[in-house]
Amino acid sequence: MSELSDVSSEEQQADIVADGEPEPEPEPAAAQKTAPPPAAEPRVRRLNIIGLRNVFFAISLLIIIPGIVSMATKHFALGIDFAGGTELTVTFADQPSLQRVEGVVDAEGLNGQVIQTKDGYILRYPVLNQAELTNVEGYLTSNLGEMSVQQQLSVGGTIAGETIFYSLLAVVLASVAILLLLAIRFRNVPGGWRAGFQFGGSALAALLHDVFILTGIFSILGKVFDLHIGEIDAFFVTAVLTVVGFSVHDTIVVFDRIRENLRVSQRLSFEQVVNLSIMQTAARSIITSFTVVLVLAAIFISGGETIKGLALALLIGIISGTYSSIFNAAPLLVVWRRLQPIR
Amino acid sequence: MQLVLSWPIRLLVVGILVFSLFVDGAGYVYRIANHYPLTGNVPGLPPNFGGWQLFFHRGLDLAGGTHIDYQLTNFPAGQSRADVQQKTIQVINRRVNTLNVSEPEIRGAGSNYDRITVDLAGVNADQAQKTIGAVSKLVYTSWVPDDKVTNGPEPGFKPKLTGLTGDSIQSATATINSDGTSWVVNIQFTQAGGNLFDQLTRANVAACPGDPASVATANCAQRHLAIWLDLTQKDIDNWENADYVGKVSGPYDPGCLAAQTANTVCGKFLTDPVTIEEISGGNAQISGSFTQQSASDLATGINAGSLPVDLVALDVTQVSATLGAESVKLSLAAGLLGLAIVVLFMIIYYRVPGLLASLALLFYAGAVLAVFKVVPVTLTLAGITGFILSVGMAVDANVLIFERFKEEVRAGRTITAAVDAAVRRAWPAIRDSNTSTLITCVILGFVGPSAVKGFAITLGIGVVASLISSIIVTHNLLAIVLTAGGLRRPGLLGVDRVRAV
Repeated sequence: MSELSDVSSEEQQADIVADGEPEPEPEPAAAQKTAPPPAAEPRVRRLNIIGLRNVFFAISLLIIIPGIVSMATKHFALGIDFAGGTELTVTFADQPSLQRVEGVVDAEGLNGQVIQTKDGYILRYPVLNQAELTNVEGYLTSNLGEMSVQQQLSVGGTIAGETIFYSLLAVVLASVAILLLLAIRFRNVPGGWRAGFQFGGSALAALLHDVFILTGIFSILGKVFDLHIGEIDAFFVTAVLTVVGFSVHDTIVVFDRIRENLRVSQRLSFEQVVNLSIMQTAARSIITSFTVVLVLAAIFISGGETIKGLALALLIGIISGTYSSIFNAAPLLVVWRRLQPIR
Repeated sequence: MQLVLSWPIRLLVVGILVFSLFVDGAGYVYRIANHYPLTGNVPGLPPNFGGWQLFFHRGLDLAGGTHIDYQLTNFPAGQSRADVQQKTIQVINRRVNTLNVSEPEIRGAGSNYDRITVDLAGVNADQAQKTIGAVSKLVYTSWVPDDKVTNGPEPGFKPKLTGLTGDSIQSATATINSDGTSWVVNIQFTQAGGNLFDQLTRANVAACPGDPASVATANCAQRHLAIWLDLTQKDIDNWENADYVGKVSGPYDPGCLAAQTANTVCGKFLTDPVTIEEISGGNAQISGSFTQQSASDLATGINAGSLPVDLVALDVTQVSATLGAESVKLSLAAGLLGLAIVVLFMIIYYRVPGLLASLALLFYAGAVLAVFKVVPVTLTLAGITGFILSVGMAVDANVLIFERFKEEVRAGRTITAAVDAAVRRAWPAIRDSNTSTLITCVILGFVGPSAVKGFAITLGIGVVASLISSIIVTHNLLAIVLTAGGLRRPGLLGVDRVRAV
């Protein structure tokens, strides 16, 4: 039995609208009460994603271009594990103002930096050894009152270099693995290798979209807004890779449907098939991402300071990944197919 | 899919469930079995079942403590580097034992046996570095004349290494001296060390005979035998530099030595006693201005043996126990909040199947936590985040099955047939979805920086468990529960109409 012929447009329309709004309580019941007439013919949805593709591309570019500009001109704010140095996370009993702490740290003449956190400060210095650190702690206590050191990190240049190296190595290996995965998944699309190239290339473009959105936003957060959370560290790289894995899969699900529908319904135009496939898979993609987004939001809101950056990166990346697989990957495939027709 | 619905599989699932509950609740099982109160600290925890301890291994960022990566330098020539690394680990282990740390972790690392990683729970960085790196090699020196020396314990003389070091010592103990006024360290030399000490003291006395207490000429510099810690030939080569000598001859400074860089000069001097008479028999005493603490520190240091290499701290991380406890609390809150939201969402959106998926999710969470205890996986903050994330991702498989289930029901299949078809047709998508995440986890787990490995491991375990949970547990629950007629109403299933059987 063909899966296409039994799905009524109204009902899916309702599903999409309900799912599309990120509300915790969608109303599936509304869709169920209207007994839908069995649709004999598959129809192209009213929500015409392919028709509106330029709008969706524009939305993406609106975020990506400032991100790329920021990355090119201002680069990234580096976390301690990439930059190296000594970092103290402290709270003061007297809760001195940021200005006062900065004044004291500046007067110390060690090139210290002060970052304010929820209930204390992060103090960053060039690498200090234990004796120097003890001196610094004594100096701070005598000038700012009783201090409790929550966390102390000292990362030498060797380790910082290695962390960057292994992060980059992970990125390279993951990219190769993902490319292989794409190649395997799209090696036998109807239309020969050229069609496979179009599918794989569009999926790759969607993937790069997510990477650029995520890195761009973090560059802006870290350098334009000078936020601590926008710093790039090993966890950020982890987030990027996790997002890539997640997003590629969303795209694969849509493309699989397109491939399936191309076989089943020969009468529809390529655009119609693509739009239909997006509609059929959107509910699944959005719900899946939505649950993950809920969980990440929980971590972001109630998780500790140290893990917020990871949660935020995953949050941005997964939303972007879902967006790109629905609104960018498949429309891009249509554009590509128009420029380079097959059959 | 008949295999999935068969009784052996269901029994296996129930078995896993019971086992997980036992492991997850091991602490309580132990308390109940031994009639201990259910809360508070209890002796004998973590529970030990025939040598098998079950508890969550908390990483340092949760337990609080210090992590140090050491670079090993100055490998002794002619020995295998692997052996030297092992010996260094043993020495560090002995030194760390004096801190009474539970589960100290000292591991070799590095591509060329040139790294050692140390994890100490509940110890601050200062204390850890002093214990590991500070008290190193006891060095005995004799004095030789050098006119250019103007500073130090014996101006006009510079020290000469005698070959008698901490390696020649059998054992050292801190005691109060015979007249009960001060703390001293008693030393027993090895056979060879005793002979050498005998010769040295004999040479001391021969240098200017007489009773040093009454005869002034008998108390010459050559009659002294100085004791240092970590004094090297390089230090001695700088002896004509008055400034340098002034610093080296300062009282022994463990803090400075622990954090020593190429340019700092630390005090290494312990004592410079005059030899009253030759000492045979291999026993000696180190006196000086010791307190009880410093005497016993020195004895411990000597007993622990000397490090065969030099240690340079590459990175040091110290997390306070309060921050660790705070992190545990926050992660727990985040996890429960996340789980609650997902469960609520699934039930509201998918009704009965959603409820079943939530049960499967709880099974999944329980099983994964049990795996963490049994393997054991050391849980870090990032690791817990990976686990919580995997809870969110675990829903994915259920969503895929349920969406297909709706489609199949709409297509006019009976409930039973729809469940089967849904699981069968959703499987390729579930497999692929988990494959791409698993690829990332494996890559990060092997080549990722050490901080993110915990994340990759827990996320990876979570993904595999979610596969099993959704395919087997959700499927079985659906098949069992949906045979009940009362539950087949469309409103309960989240579909618009159900075909009568």
